[in-house]
Amino acid sequence: MARLNDDAQWIVLMGFIVSFALFFIAILINQSTIVGQTTAEAVSEFPKTDIREVRGMIIQSEFLGDENDKTNVQREIRNLSLSRHNAVVEFSSSPPAGSDPYTHIEMHYNNGVTAYNETWRSE
Amino acid sequence: MTKRKIQAPCTEGVSESIGFLLIFTLMMAGIGLVTLYGYPLLMQQQTSADEQIMEKNMIVLQNDVKSLAYKTVPYKETSLKIGGGALTIYNSHHTPPASKITIRDANGVIFVTDFRSGDLTYSSASANTEVSLQNGAVVKRQNQGSVMLAEPRWFYDGQTKTLVINLVNLTSNGLMARDGIGTVQMALGETRFDNYDTTGLVPIYLTYTPDSVKDYSVAWDNYLRQTLGMSRNSGTPGSGTGQPLEYELPQTSRLVIKQYEVIIRSL
Repeated sequence: MARLNDDAQWIVLMGFIVSFALFFIAILINQSTIVGQTTAEAVSEFPKTDIREVRGMIIQSEFLGDENDKTNVQREIRNLSLSRHNAVVEFSSSPPAGSDPYTHIEMHYNNGVTAYNETWRSE
Repeated sequence: MTKRKIQAPCTEGVSESIGFLLIFTLMMAGIGLVTLYGYPLLMQQQTSADEQIMEKNMIVLQNDVKSLAYKTVPYKETSLKIGGGALTIYNSHHTPPASKITIRDANGVIFVTDFRSGDLTYSSASANTEVSLQNGAVVKRQNQGSVMLAEPRWFYDGQTKTLVINLVNLTSNGLMARDGIGTVQMALGETRFDNYDTTGLVPIYLTYTPDSVKDYSVAWDNYLRQTLGMSRNSGTPGSGTGQPLEYELPQTSRLVIKQYEVIIRSL
């Protein structure tokens, strides 16, 4: 009489493991609506170039010679960011004073998803 | 005979007919269970899967609207499969409107009068629910109850005390509807940008008038109060009467209202 051959028990075990793995993957796919949205937003919504552009413009505008031009340009920067980039931009500067030889600019950018703050110092 | 008995002793008492009957009964029981209980369950699952797919699709469409409005992309196109219901565009001239928004201050200065957003609605054929893309938000409704699945991009900047309100209205050539596989083509229409200095400490009010049948007021009430920090002065959300709800805006020194027109070219 032949003995019961149980060498292939692992096939049954693999069946179990594979089905459990599939079950978990199904749960993951089910959750993908929310995850997909958040990830897509985080990647595509980050306004890297917008921030760079605005930052560059603010710094440039700070060194305009004519005081009148400077006020106009800075007002337009705020207006343009709101109308084109849908972002609130605010900035203020303090010129070199006393022992501090540097110009400081405080910048604030917020488009509802990303907020960015920076204190820039001329060096 | 004796030789065979020694070779296969464990087949004693095994009958082919009983084996056949056992297997046959098991099969029939299995098929019966699946038909009687499994099939209705499967159908129910199918309905909820269709709905979930449409919720996902609506969020994709919302992202398209975001690209059009906030990134000044001129044109967007998305293919999608609409199952278990129909996708319909009720444009901003459609009566009755999905909702009306008026923004004014206590002195009677009117910033926005009766803004109609129009909406892109998916109505499920069997589940009695609707998913709608309106005013830049995705909302889901069942009878008078509603929930916001994805919020519009209105925001309050605490540092500059600026409140930015983005109003998106959908327009189209008449009423369009689609079932099955279709392409939604959207283009950016006119935009309007208003920037008000509101440092005068005069309270500003927003009035939201829902439609009495397609009442999404619970979702909007939650959004306006929880996310934007407005306070409700009058009205009951979800009443199904179409009564206006009035909100007072948080203290702002600058109010920015942007209006975008998104044209649905085809569904």
